[in-house]
Amino acid sequence: MVNKLIKEDTKMFLTGNEVLAYAANSAEAEFMYGYPITPQNEIMHTWCKLLPKTGAGFLQTEDEISAGFSTIGGILAGKRAFTATAGPGNVIMQDAQSMAEMMRIPFVCAVMQRGGPSTATVIYAQQETRLTCFGGNGEGFRIVYSTAGHQDLYDYMIKAFNTAWKYRFPTYVLADGYQGKMREPVVLYDPASRGISMVPTTKALLAEGQIGVDRKSAHLRNTYNMEEELMGVLEGYKADYEKMSEEVQEWEEYKAEDAEILVIAHGIVARSARTAIDELREKGIKAGLFRPITIRPLAVKPLRAAVSRAKQILFTESANGQLAQMVLEKLYGLNTPYSTLFKMGVGVTGDDIVNKVESMAAAAV
Amino acid sequence: MSRTKIVLAGEGGQGVQSVAKILVEAGYEAGKQVLYIPNFGVEQRGGVSIAFCQIADETIGEPRFAKGDIIIMLSDRAIDRCSTYVDENSVVVYDTSVCTKKPEIKCKEIIGVDANKIANEQLSARVFNIIILGVLLEATHVLELGDIKNAMEQALGKKFAAKPELRELNYKALEMGMGLVKDRAAV
Repeated sequence: MVNKLIKEDTKMFLTGNEVLAYAANSAEAEFMYGYPITPQNEIMHTWCKLLPKTGAGFLQTEDEISAGFSTIGGILAGKRAFTATAGPGNVIMQDAQSMAEMMRIPFVCAVMQRGGPSTATVIYAQQETRLTCFGGNGEGFRIVYSTAGHQDLYDYMIKAFNTAWKYRFPTYVLADGYQGKMREPVVLYDPASRGISMVPTTKALLAEGQIGVDRKSAHLRNTYNMEEELMGVLEGYKADYEKMSEEVQEWEEYKAEDAEILVIAHGIVARSARTAIDELREKGIKAGLFRPITIRPLAVKPLRAAVSRAKQILFTESANGQLAQMVLEKLYGLNTPYSTLFKMGVGVTGDDIVNKVESMAAAAV
Repeated sequence: MSRTKIVLAGEGGQGVQSVAKILVEAGYEAGKQVLYIPNFGVEQRGGVSIAFCQIADETIGEPRFAKGDIIIMLSDRAIDRCSTYVDENSVVVYDTSVCTKKPEIKCKEIIGVDANKIANEQLSARVFNIIILGVLLEATHVLELGDIKNAMEQALGKKFAAKPELRELNYKALEMGMGLVKDRAAV
C-alpha cells in the first residue's frame, strides 16, 4: 500500500504533468515505469519527487519498448502500475500495448501528444489520436479518455485506473503538450470524498489459494496456434467491449440543444470551441459543441442525435482529421453537411473557430 | 469579462519562462484565473522561447489565443516569430539594446526599452528578465506590484535569504522596468 498524499480538497496551481502524478497517487498507483520524452517528463519527475512521501516505486527503463513491457510485468506481479509517454515513444510502446490488449492487462498510460510525424515538435498536437485508439496489431480494444484541462486530467487519471482494473482493457488518458506543460488552478481531492471507491488491485499470477480448489488457474496468453482459436478469444473480447461501451462512454454537449452549426472537437480544442461558441452566440449565430470525452469507444447514440439536430457540422482538430475519420464512420446514413478546420500540430484558437463558423453561416444564407 | 493575453518571447536562456512563471504565480495568488503555456523547441539555449499567459477574472476557455493584448519581443527572431500575434489592439514592447531592428507592425503602440543595456551597465545581467517583468507590469496594470513581489519571494526566497542584497537588486530591477514604461517618449 502506498501513502496517499491528498487527504482533503486542495487547490493547487500546477502543470498538467504534475497533476497526473498526484492523480496516480490518489488512485493508489504503486509503481511507474517510464522513459523520458518531452512533453511528459514531469509526470515521472513529479512522481519521483513524491516517492519519499508516497513510498511508491519507479523504474526508468532503457526505452519505451521496455517501459511498456515492464509496466505489464509490474501488473502481472500484482502491482497497480502505470506508464506515460508521447510521440515517437508512443509509437514504439505499441507492441507492449497490443500485448496488454491481447492478455487483458489493466494497463494505464498517459499520452501527452506532441507534433508528428517522427520527432517533429516537442510542443503540442492531436496527432496521436488514431495511434492511441487503434495502434498496434489488433482491434483497438482500448478505452481512451481525451481531457480538456487540469481538472479533467485529475478526474480522468483516477477514473482510468478504475476503468482498466474493472474491465481489463488498456486505458489511456490522452492529453497533449499544452496540457502537460501549462499551468492552471486545479482542485485535488481524495476520490472517497467524491463517492469514488477504487477497484482493488488483484494478482494476475501467484494469487492466493490452491489452483483447481480455491481458484481457476491463470493462463494468460498472447500466442495462439489456430486461427479459429484466436478468433474465438477475440469474439469474446469484442462482446465484452461492446457490452462495456455503453457503461464507459462519456461526452459533453455545450449549447448543442438548438445548435444549427455543431462543432465536433475533442481535448483541448473543445475548450477553444467553448470560447468561440460564446462569441458566436453573442453575434446571433446558433453554434454548439459536441465533445466526445471517450474517443474510444465513442458515444454513438448521443453523437448521432446531436448531428441530426444540426444543419451543418464543423470538425476541428490539431491534426488532419483523425477524430473526424473515426466519427464519420459512426455517422453513416446521416447526410448533414460538414466542413473542416484542421491545423496539423498547431493549436486551434477561439478566433479560428469563430471565423470558420461565420463563413459557414454566411454560406448557408 | 476581463481577460489579458500576454506573449513573452525571446531567445532561450534570456529568462522568458522564469518571468512568465513569476507573473502567473502572482496572478494565481491574487485570486485571478490564470493559464500559462510555455512554448519552446528542443534547445537548452538559443531557440526562440515563447510564453503565452492569460490572466482573467472568469474561467479561461481557449488555451492558445490568436492575438495578444501585449507582445514582448526580446530578440530579432522573436520579432519575426511573434508578429503574427499582433493586431491593431496590441501593445508591442521590444528591447532596443538586443534587437537590431524595430518591429514594423500595425498595432496600438510600440514601446522600445533598453532593458538589456540597463541590466549590464547599471544592475546585473542576471536581472534583465526582472526589468522586463517591471515593464510588463506597468504596461498592463493587470496585477499589483505587491502581488509580483510576493511571487518573487516564492520563486527566489531561498536565494534572497542567503543573499539579502539580491532582493534589493531584483526590486530595483522591477522598479526600473516600470520606470521605462512610465517615462517613455511617444514613438
